[in-house]
Amino acid sequence: YQVQSAVTDRKQIVFTGHSLGGSIAILATLWFLEKFFKSDSKIPPLCLTFGCPLTGNRIFSHALGRENWASYFIHFVMRYDIVPRLLLAPIPSIEQEFESILQFFAAKSTNESAGGVPEEASDFHMIVMRNAASVATHAACNLMGSTNMLLETVTSFIALSPYKPFGTYIFCTGNGKLVVLRNPDAVLQLLFYSSQLGSEREVAEIPCLSLHQHFGYESELQESLEMQDVVDLKQLETLPLSAEVTGGDSATINSALNDLGLSTRARLCLRAAGVLEKRKQGNKRNIDAKEKDIHNAMNELETSYRAYCKLRKVGCYDAFKLQKNRQDFDANLKRLTLTGIWDEIIDMLKRYELPDDFEGQRAWVELGTRYRRLVEPLDIANYYRHLKNEDTGPYATKGRPKRFRYTQRWREHAEKMPAESSGESHFWAEVEELQAKTGNGEGFEEVKERVLKLERNIQKWVNGGEVEKDVLLEESTLVKWWKTLPQHHKLESCISGLIKN
Amino acid sequence: MNRSDSPLFSSGLELGSFVVTSNVLHHSWAAISELYGEIHEPPSWASPVRFRTFQQPNCTIIAFVTWPPCTKEHLQGQGGGDLVSSSALKETFPLFEFLSTKTNPRFSINKPAIDLFASVRGVLDFLKSQISTKPLIIAGHSVGGSVASLFTLWLLDKINLATTKRPLCITFGSPLVGDDGLQEAILQYSAWNSCFLHVVSDRDPVPRVLISPYNPTAPELASPTNQYKPFGTFLLYSELGCACLEDPESVLELLVATYSEGPGFDYKDIFQQLNGNVICKDSTKDDEWIAQPLPAGIITQLGAIGLGRLQQLQQQSIDMNTLIRQTEIRERKWLIRRREAYNDSKLNEMKVNMAQLEWYKKFSEDKKIGYYDMFKNEYDSRNNTLQRFKKSLTCYWTDMVDEVEKKPQWRGASFTTRWLFSGTIYRRMVEPLNIAEYYRDGKTDYIAKGRSKHYKLLEQWLDEDESRSASRPNNPKKQNLKGGLTEDSCFWAYVEEALISVNALSNGQYSSNDMDKHKRSLIQFEDYVWGMLKNCAVSSEIFLEQSSFMKWWKKYLEIIRKGIMGTSPFTEFMQNRQYSQYAPGCQ
Repeated sequence: YQVQSAVTDRKQIVFTGHSLGGSIAILATLWFLEKFFKSDSKIPPLCLTFGCPLTGNRIFSHALGRENWASYFIHFVMRYDIVPRLLLAPIPSIEQEFESILQFFAAKSTNESAGGVPEEASDFHMIVMRNAASVATHAACNLMGSTNMLLETVTSFIALSPYKPFGTYIFCTGNGKLVVLRNPDAVLQLLFYSSQLGSEREVAEIPCLSLHQHFGYESELQESLEMQDVVDLKQLETLPLSAEVTGGDSATINSALNDLGLSTRARLCLRAAGVLEKRKQGNKRNIDAKEKDIHNAMNELETSYRAYCKLRKVGCYDAFKLQKNRQDFDANLKRLTLTGIWDEIIDMLKRYELPDDFEGQRAWVELGTRYRRLVEPLDIANYYRHLKNEDTGPYATKGRPKRFRYTQRWREHAEKMPAESSGESHFWAEVEELQAKTGNGEGFEEVKERVLKLERNIQKWVNGGEVEKDVLLEESTLVKWWKTLPQHHKLESCISGLIKN
Repeated sequence: MNRSDSPLFSSGLELGSFVVTSNVLHHSWAAISELYGEIHEPPSWASPVRFRTFQQPNCTIIAFVTWPPCTKEHLQGQGGGDLVSSSALKETFPLFEFLSTKTNPRFSINKPAIDLFASVRGVLDFLKSQISTKPLIIAGHSVGGSVASLFTLWLLDKINLATTKRPLCITFGSPLVGDDGLQEAILQYSAWNSCFLHVVSDRDPVPRVLISPYNPTAPELASPTNQYKPFGTFLLYSELGCACLEDPESVLELLVATYSEGPGFDYKDIFQQLNGNVICKDSTKDDEWIAQPLPAGIITQLGAIGLGRLQQLQQQSIDMNTLIRQTEIRERKWLIRRREAYNDSKLNEMKVNMAQLEWYKKFSEDKKIGYYDMFKNEYDSRNNTLQRFKKSLTCYWTDMVDEVEKKPQWRGASFTTRWLFSGTIYRRMVEPLNIAEYYRDGKTDYIAKGRSKHYKLLEQWLDEDESRSASRPNNPKKQNLKGGLTEDSCFWAYVEEALISVNALSNGQYSSNDMDKHKRSLIQFEDYVWGMLKNCAVSSEIFLEQSSFMKWWKKYLEIIRKGIMGTSPFTEFMQNRQYSQYAPGCQ
């Protein structure tokens, strides 16, 4: 209710929290974004967390990137604070020591001068850091494009924490400086590397520090506020690799990296994250450049092939399925060209080689929908022409390519439609399946529900212009099949009117 | 920026740390020391190999050691470095024949290692039965590690990597096992190569004994120690840290370069130390400005395994700058080669070519001739363009089949189903054209003499695939014909052979012996076609007026009328023109 009134007053809402409270702030912000920001309020919220444990996995991080929401989240992390790193260790591995650490935290948060650090602190720190090292080095191998499959072989022997950071991270170096980092892959590396021990001597001190720093945000940020020394790490792919650099911007960056204690090795990992990000942008540019090819091929299909089908008085689906003339063959070549381009895009998405926000981009969502409506019927025609349903199975469950599944989900997501509701591009497959089941005038009762649902959908889609009217031509597979349905059904059918006209 | 021109990184340090933090080394060494601890009897050379299976909560470990432990002197002594060639093994110990391929027929294995492995031959199946669904580690120390490597290799042939997780073989301080032939056999399957992890301390002489002192300028000597080559990943470590290396040439060079003779050491100490190293910053300091990530990565890696710039002073024999440069060049080559992975987009291109052929087929049918005879008789100027499509398809599939043949683990993987499906359509579509060319040139007996190997393999793999998924509901009567293609891609070759026989019979100039032979083959052909018709496995295009099959039938009908051949359900079917109702593949 308070949120609602803030929205009405057009105020910006800031969600904030310390430690686990940060996680709650994150979830509250998400709730706000989904409930208000997408529709009513255009004022973005802000979520500030301090020493917050990791809250989501890779999908979570990817989804926030897709929605362009990541920038509303800002996380402050002290260089040695253990809590933000905690969940890089799988829970069972730390269970034993965790109890006493929690007790310490509880005492500390209510009473500043609460007792000493528990003796488990050292083991606890060691376990968390070792697991953090596992996650970070595993991720680094992938960032660096490691070709050694030993990585995979060894991975099957251990449990890796699935948690992954998102949003903007601000690392407090401990001497008042702040280092800003937005690339989630790089943040993961920095979470580990910035809290590495400098020498054996520190083995005794750091575990203590790692617990105390969790409560040091106030004084540290007070200091930072006075110093106003903020370094924003943007061009990760050009980060200086060794500690001694002089001159210009890189000196400022370098001193920040030194304050976080980053070795050449740590810097290499950050660079790799930067290079990957840049490659994703490059891939995106390559794909954008292909947009024109997609448009050309689709225009060709939309104008000349449609016109030709109209002339022959058959729907595109049926004409394509018959493959009678040169034009059908040309259409097939166009279809295959488009298949090549879209498969490449989907492949990159699967390998996370495109920027997170790609799937949310309006232009691509629309292009995908247009492509799907235009070409998927041709794919289905091809599928059933070659009788692939008989050895592979029904198209919808066994044969539907990812390029159509993905693009359908894009639209459903962008327009907040329920999942699986934008299936207008593959209703032909259902027609074919139902035709096979009711082929000899029998079996209607068994699939009656499916027929009714299909008819309702067709009515909706044809009236809404999502499906072309040519599917209702007299010679179409749909109409021919519909006419074989029992008389009593046809009289009451909701598409009888459409078909008669 | 493409994948190809992004800067390269060397991830050896990260992989090394990852392996250390994963605890697999710790578990394996614990198993090995437990095994050593169990040995109380005095050494006997009768059964030197000791092994045991350890069931851990989340993995199974099979450990191998030898007793008495092997020393540097054993390996350097009489026969320690002898190799047994694959041809000799074939006679005495034929367990590794699967490693020989057409491209890489010969390999050799260290004789002492193979002798030790042979001594446990009797328990191999028992050990295999100990393996459950849990991930498997095979560990071994010193020469016991060589036995572990050979056991793993044997096992890789026995298990299906598509359905089972890859086992991990971890050796500690093991000497090299085989020559470049063995290396090649394992390296060509990166999945196999990824099953071997060799841990080597900079103090341990044993893993280095079978390498001759590194000397790049000297010509290959005849000494057998020059022939040993590494495979798998090596985890080299020093007191400063550790790194993983996969490129075999670098492994060989760095094994030698990192060796520092020192006081005794124990592999068990390393875990404590390396674990500590992992969460500490590496202490190597570099004052030099390096802009590129690859050389920077190489330098830090070499530093971690004990080849920092400071050490250069102590080891005058190694020129660090050259070492760094060479390692970098090799790493670059290695990474680039490994990244040239299987490319799926080509398959879509091939589909365009197939569409072109499909169109040709359709066009031929409209002319009532069928694409086989259309192509054979070169009726159409389109043949030239068709040749082009056919050629690029054949190139693609010959290459692919070749690749797959080299990488048997590709088969059975789920993504190959789609691939095999496309390959089958290709075979059914294009092989008839090869047959047409073959008989057009007046040659005979295509199946035995003219058939390309890639067709045979594609057909064989399809059969294997179908017998594996035999549980799938399969109604032979309803067998469809994809794209109206005859199932047996050699159908037209049988037709051509039948035409030859029928011509021979109607000429009647041959000896009665020959005549009988032709009669028999014609009856066989009849059965063959009849069987296919009953299963609807043949395209209706064969009944087109001008097809070779119909030519054959007209001639055959003549000799039936002459009474040379008898009638059958098949001939009745043909005579009554029942084929006009036969429809598979008709559009």
